Amino acid sequence: MAPYAELAATTNFSFLCGASHPEEMVSQARELGLEGLGIADRNTVAGVVRAHIMGKELAVKIAPGARLVFTDGTPDILAYPMNRSGWGHLTKLLTRGKWRAEKGDCILTLVDLLDHIDELNLIVLPPIQIESGSLISRLVQLKEAAPRAVWLGASMLYRGDDGRRLARLATIAVEAGVALIAVGDALYHIPERRALQDVVTCIREHRQLDDAGRRLHVNAERHLKSPREMTRLFRQAPQAISETLRFLDRCRFSLEELKYEYPHETPEGYATAQDALMALTETGARTRYPDGVPANIRHALDHELKIIAELGYAPYFLTVHNIVRFARSCEIPILCQGRGSAANSAICYCLGITEVDPSRIALLFERFVSAERREPPDIDIDFEHERREEVIQHIYRHYGRHHAGLAATVICYRSRSAIREVGKVFGLSDDTVGALAGTIWGWSNDAVTADEVRRIGLDPADPRLASVLQYARELIDFPRHLSQHVGGFVITRSRLDEVVPIENAAMEDRTVVEWNKDDLEALGILKIDVLGLGMLSCLHRSLALLAKHYQHDGNMAAIPADDPAVYDMLSHGDSIGVFQVESRAQMSMLPRLRPKEFYDLVIEVAIVRPGPIQGDMVHPYLRRRQGIEPIDYPSENLKTVLKKTLGVPLFQEQTMRIAIVAAGFTAVEADKLRRAMATFKRVGTIKYFRDKLIGGMISRGYPLDFAERCFHQIEGFGEYGFPESHAASFALLVYTSAWIKCHYPDVFAAALLNSQPMGFYAPAQIVRDAQEHGVEIRAVDINFSGWDNRLEDGLGTLEPVHPRHAKTRAAIRTTHAVRLGFRQINGLAETDGRTIEAARDSGFDSIRDLWLRTGLFPTALERLAQADAFRSIGLDRREALWAVRALRRSGDKDDLPLFARATMPELEPDIDLPPMPLGQQVVEDYRHLQLSLKAHPVVFLRAELKSRRIIPHEALVGLPSGERVTVAGLVLVRQRPGSASGVIFMTLEDETGIANTIVWPKTFEIFRPIVLGARLISVTGKLQNESGVIHVVAERCEDLSFLLHHLSADAGCLPTLAHADEIKRTIRHMASSSPDHPGARIDERTVRADDLMAAAIANAAIPKGRNFH
Amino acid sequence: MLAPAKSKPRIIVGERGAARRLTAVNDAAARLGLEPDMPLADAQAMYPALERAEADPEQDRFLLEKIADWCDRYTPLIGLHPPDGLILDISGCAHLFGGETALCRDLVGRLEGQGFKVRAAIADTVGCAAGVARFSQTGPEADIVSPGATKAALMPLPLAGLRLSGRVVRALAQVGLKRVADIVDQPRAPLAARFGISLVRRLDQALGDEDEPIAPRRPLPPYVVERRFGDPIALEADILGTIEHLAHELARMMERRGEGARLVQLALFRTDGRVHRIAIGTAAPLRDTQRLRRLFADKLATLGDECDPGFGFDVVRLSVGVTQRCDPVQTGLESINLAGDLAHLIDRLSARFGPQRVMRLIPQDTHIPEFAIVALPAQTLLHQTRSHHAGQEPTFACGPLSGQDSLAPVRPIRLFERPEPVEAVAEVPDGPPVRFRWRHVLHEVMTAEGPERIAMEWWRDEAGQVLTRDYFRVESRQGARVWLYREGLYERETIQPRWFLHGLFA
Repeated sequence: MAPYAELAATTNFSFLCGASHPEEMVSQARELGLEGLGIADRNTVAGVVRAHIMGKELAVKIAPGARLVFTDGTPDILAYPMNRSGWGHLTKLLTRGKWRAEKGDCILTLVDLLDHIDELNLIVLPPIQIESGSLISRLVQLKEAAPRAVWLGASMLYRGDDGRRLARLATIAVEAGVALIAVGDALYHIPERRALQDVVTCIREHRQLDDAGRRLHVNAERHLKSPREMTRLFRQAPQAISETLRFLDRCRFSLEELKYEYPHETPEGYATAQDALMALTETGARTRYPDGVPANIRHALDHELKIIAELGYAPYFLTVHNIVRFARSCEIPILCQGRGSAANSAICYCLGITEVDPSRIALLFERFVSAERREPPDIDIDFEHERREEVIQHIYRHYGRHHAGLAATVICYRSRSAIREVGKVFGLSDDTVGALAGTIWGWSNDAVTADEVRRIGLDPADPRLASVLQYARELIDFPRHLSQHVGGFVITRSRLDEVVPIENAAMEDRTVVEWNKDDLEALGILKIDVLGLGMLSCLHRSLALLAKHYQHDGNMAAIPADDPAVYDMLSHGDSIGVFQVESRAQMSMLPRLRPKEFYDLVIEVAIVRPGPIQGDMVHPYLRRRQGIEPIDYPSENLKTVLKKTLGVPLFQEQTMRIAIVAAGFTAVEADKLRRAMATFKRVGTIKYFRDKLIGGMISRGYPLDFAERCFHQIEGFGEYGFPESHAASFALLVYTSAWIKCHYPDVFAAALLNSQPMGFYAPAQIVRDAQEHGVEIRAVDINFSGWDNRLEDGLGTLEPVHPRHAKTRAAIRTTHAVRLGFRQINGLAETDGRTIEAARDSGFDSIRDLWLRTGLFPTALERLAQADAFRSIGLDRREALWAVRALRRSGDKDDLPLFARATMPELEPDIDLPPMPLGQQVVEDYRHLQLSLKAHPVVFLRAELKSRRIIPHEALVGLPSGERVTVAGLVLVRQRPGSASGVIFMTLEDETGIANTIVWPKTFEIFRPIVLGARLISVTGKLQNESGVIHVVAERCEDLSFLLHHLSADAGCLPTLAHADEIKRTIRHMASSSPDHPGARIDERTVRADDLMAAAIANAAIPKGRNFH
Repeated sequence: MLAPAKSKPRIIVGERGAARRLTAVNDAAARLGLEPDMPLADAQAMYPALERAEADPEQDRFLLEKIADWCDRYTPLIGLHPPDGLILDISGCAHLFGGETALCRDLVGRLEGQGFKVRAAIADTVGCAAGVARFSQTGPEADIVSPGATKAALMPLPLAGLRLSGRVVRALAQVGLKRVADIVDQPRAPLAARFGISLVRRLDQALGDEDEPIAPRRPLPPYVVERRFGDPIALEADILGTIEHLAHELARMMERRGEGARLVQLALFRTDGRVHRIAIGTAAPLRDTQRLRRLFADKLATLGDECDPGFGFDVVRLSVGVTQRCDPVQTGLESINLAGDLAHLIDRLSARFGPQRVMRLIPQDTHIPEFAIVALPAQTLLHQTRSHHAGQEPTFACGPLSGQDSLAPVRPIRLFERPEPVEAVAEVPDGPPVRFRWRHVLHEVMTAEGPERIAMEWWRDEAGQVLTRDYFRVESRQGARVWLYREGLYERETIQPRWFLHGLFA
């Protein structure tokens, strides 16, 4: 048996071609005792980093390369760089092919290869049918361009003539003067994967297995083979085997060599980047602390500067500073704020990258930058979501497309997409596939279980169905395509396309590198996250309105800190529209937590997260905070770690510290543990950490259940944890938005409406909330409205404030009214709205006047009429529509306007339009404005509801726990948090307020159609009142939607009010997506408080186009 | 109104724009709150295991036509009102059934007996009848609007009852005009200016102020020609002569419409009342009189005594059952119409021996040798390839059947239907046989090539029993050139592979 290295391994990063993960390939290579493994995917190097990491772990030599697939008839060629600059040639070659192709594609010809052929080792893979003459001339041509770097690859095809073919290839090799080399041309790591490979082939070819025919491989031989087997197969040409080692030896390049180089950022006048950083920090510190830098901050700055100098990270900080400075120096400055672990740095605060005053929270700089980890720090910056593109284009412009690119996101098969595709391949009917997919909630990665299959009336033992389930399970987590990361930028000093191939993104003007954030991190390549945050847009608008109408200086810094009125408001759960804490879960947490100071908000942000909830940390914390349970610490050591959170671990840093202090992990191990959580499914190393953590804690005398809880929580944190610093950054936005809402509800409502779509609530709820806080809201009108919602001089006095908010009353400083803008009208174009604003002058006196002066199309006028925007000229909705409709015909271009204007009224006989009842007016308002200022629809049904013994929501407050009640309302939101084992939370709204109901799974199954289908629903059940947080636990549900028909015959078409109707959307999502739509992806760190919900629901919760970048 | 009444909730689903929506629901489903036009996703969220079927508008239309055909019994003047309505002009017909009420009851009763849900109305105008049938709240299943009551009957109807487009109905509703009563006495000009002239026209038509003709359905042109004889004929030559004569007439009729016959039926009516019916299918649309005559001659010859003329035939009828477009083909000056000749040959052979006996071998897209070729009736095949591939052979995306590099024959000339087991001695794991015994004769292998490894189609193999085959081309000292395979990969699938002989090369 001769030693052998496999040089043609295709992984599943050759999408829908390879059928094994890179990691599987590598570990099988080790199992078989291969000398090395060459990873060569089709025109991509997307999978090599994973193979490289695994290779490092298992001590398998990995040659990173690519299989070049040409469009000009050239046979496939495997290309492996000899050294670092060879790698650059390869990536540039791939970049060239990708730039001229659509996203995800690559167009290469032999000419391209000849242009980038230096320092590459090439293996030419002959096609199945060999044409000797052309093959020899190709080989000679390549050999001349790359002397001593061309091989002819021979593989066994098992088509009956392998012996003859091998002999023929040997002759050709001799004639062309190149060496023959043996390759296995593996598509999967073990023969058992043949079936899955057939399945992905069918997916690729849009075929079913039954009619795929010879598109499938004829046998299972495309697996990795052992040196013994390869030696036997190539016994006629043993030198082809030994050649593999010689080849491997000539591939000296390792991904380790891609040492990251920071871009040059040294501003003029400074000798080094470090000098510049020190000077900028000093200037910044003086601005931040005009009364002198406090001693502890000074100390922290020195400490940080020292570490940064040691690690040479100064240019990185300058890069980030540069981007932030750009945003602030725009003509209209873009609000931005750093988040994540960067908030642990005093330098970042002084440079203006983050906003959390380090004197307000304890810093843990090591979480951000650690000399031990030797990894580049990770800074995430949020920008106003509507203006992030400006920042992105600035980065491309400033650094150049050859130096900057977005990181990729590897989109993988999820349960639902896997079952859909595999089901189709096996020829299941659409119905069956739909039903199977329907058993999966959201973005799960769990396979469909036999029980679920039985529940939808199918037999899991049916062989075909069993196969579908099995292969769908195997397909989960297979990469299916690359997409762009939400905002992760890679910036390099040398050419980026010499580090990694760059391709076009689906979005215009975006270019993306082939590696995702984990890959980049593993290679130590810097990434800056440029993210978009809707709340920053809203704050920007709020500050502008404050400056214009309230003589505020328009600066976030001018908002006073620690205003008790703000905390009072939040403690009442009065938080509609407030950043992060507006969801139902957060709203019911607020009155229990009763935040008193800034740090409480940090906890509030962090506590309603899957990590703490799954780790069962929430209730112990609450009990301790309320003084019901004594505060104790598992040990004196842990007291220092857990003191701030009353002995209950809530933050990511704390769980890491526990691993260190209580289980004896080193800092590096603790960090590894945190990372392993995110990827454990794929790599399978979790058990090792579990044993180590729990074992370590027990041996140090901690109780088993505490140890298990800690581990459980770390598990949750892996994907959905908040580090304290991140929570603090967000808490700042919570405080700022709450402050504006508290004192200027008019400003807040207008800014929030103008920033839509964002947040959790529909315009109707935002408007209603403002009204309840005494803000006068005025209707959209052609004579008063602008495109945006804006403030008008109010009466100087507040409208009555709802008793619910009586305590906040004193803090409200509102003196203006909100005039709704044209943007609230469904389907009205922005240009039309702005045209009206511009043409208005002293006002319009008729529809004809408006029409003539704005030149709007009658359809636009119709929308205005439908929105009832003509009241100021004395026309109600119907009259206006009647008039608008006439424009279309009698007012065509050839009709002289002046003449028509003069004569129309006389010419046309009067017609009697029936008046529109108020109920229908409200319905029409909802339909065209999504809200009504006239009344709440349920008002009209109150008598009917009363006769059914249904009580208004406001009456719930006075009732004792345990009372059976019936409430009814429009369904605002349905939620099914992943962490709540199938419980559905349904929020109802009537004219008096909101009622939260809980539907247990059993009840849900009984009333499923009603819960999901009703627009107006009644819920009967027991009342639950826990520290003022009221729920009705449903026992019975009834669909009352038919009552809406009393309002208007068309009320059946009332748009659903639920802004984030997760459940139906989840299902709709399932129905609509075979591939999981990349548009629905969200960055896990930006998921809002409702990440309570498993990623599954969360992803579906945020509608397309409303991503929180 | 074609919803078959069944107790289980059932929905019909179709594409409406980009979305999948319900197009129809049965009563049971309607009781669950499902209604047409609802997004399928919503319905499924509410009831995951809902029984459903795909909408098939073409079939619906077809069914509607069939019902219209059936309604011929009441009046020849029938108009379609798709997707689910029929308009019958019963002027002057009602008395044949005992009056309007009786006719209506008869029609509704019979259709309901066939499982349809029916609503019918009789009125002076088409518009009124259609509106009342669809929207009237009164009456059980039939409404009869007495003459002069048209306006009164229309008044309470919703405006959709005037057969207006949904857009117009919605626009009217927006200004509060919902029922016919809301507009019937309003001035027409402002209405027409705002909602289009069609609104006013529909209203006038329904009121009878404007005429509305029914567009009757045109029956399919039946190609039927016949000849009656005072003196019955019995001689074959006479019969064939008559056929040819009739065929001429048919050909002229078909030519005018650019069609050719795919199915021709000959009916020979014997004087004693017996009827012989002889059908001939053709491979390609046919108008050629001579060929048609030849086909019937062949057929009559094979039938022999079965087609006994007895005392002679007094009627000979030739009808075309199925037609197909048949555009004249321009032939080259010197080309010979090979395809046409072949088609004719196939027709003749099929007519003589039966279509199941004249087969063609068609290569299949599969790796499995025994399924690589199937035999199909040549007549049907010829037609299929014509219509689907414009005369080309089916092609495969994966290239030619031979997957190997060398020019050696890949598959034996004769492939056994059942591979024959042989005893063989061979090198492990995948060497060729050294010697083998087949049909009691021991063969010493001189040369062998292989293996060609063919794995079975795993997804058809429920128990995982079917083993991979390693095929060898073998030439023995005894002169046999055979195709052998080892069943089962040594050690990976079995430790005792068996051997089979699957075919002969010479």
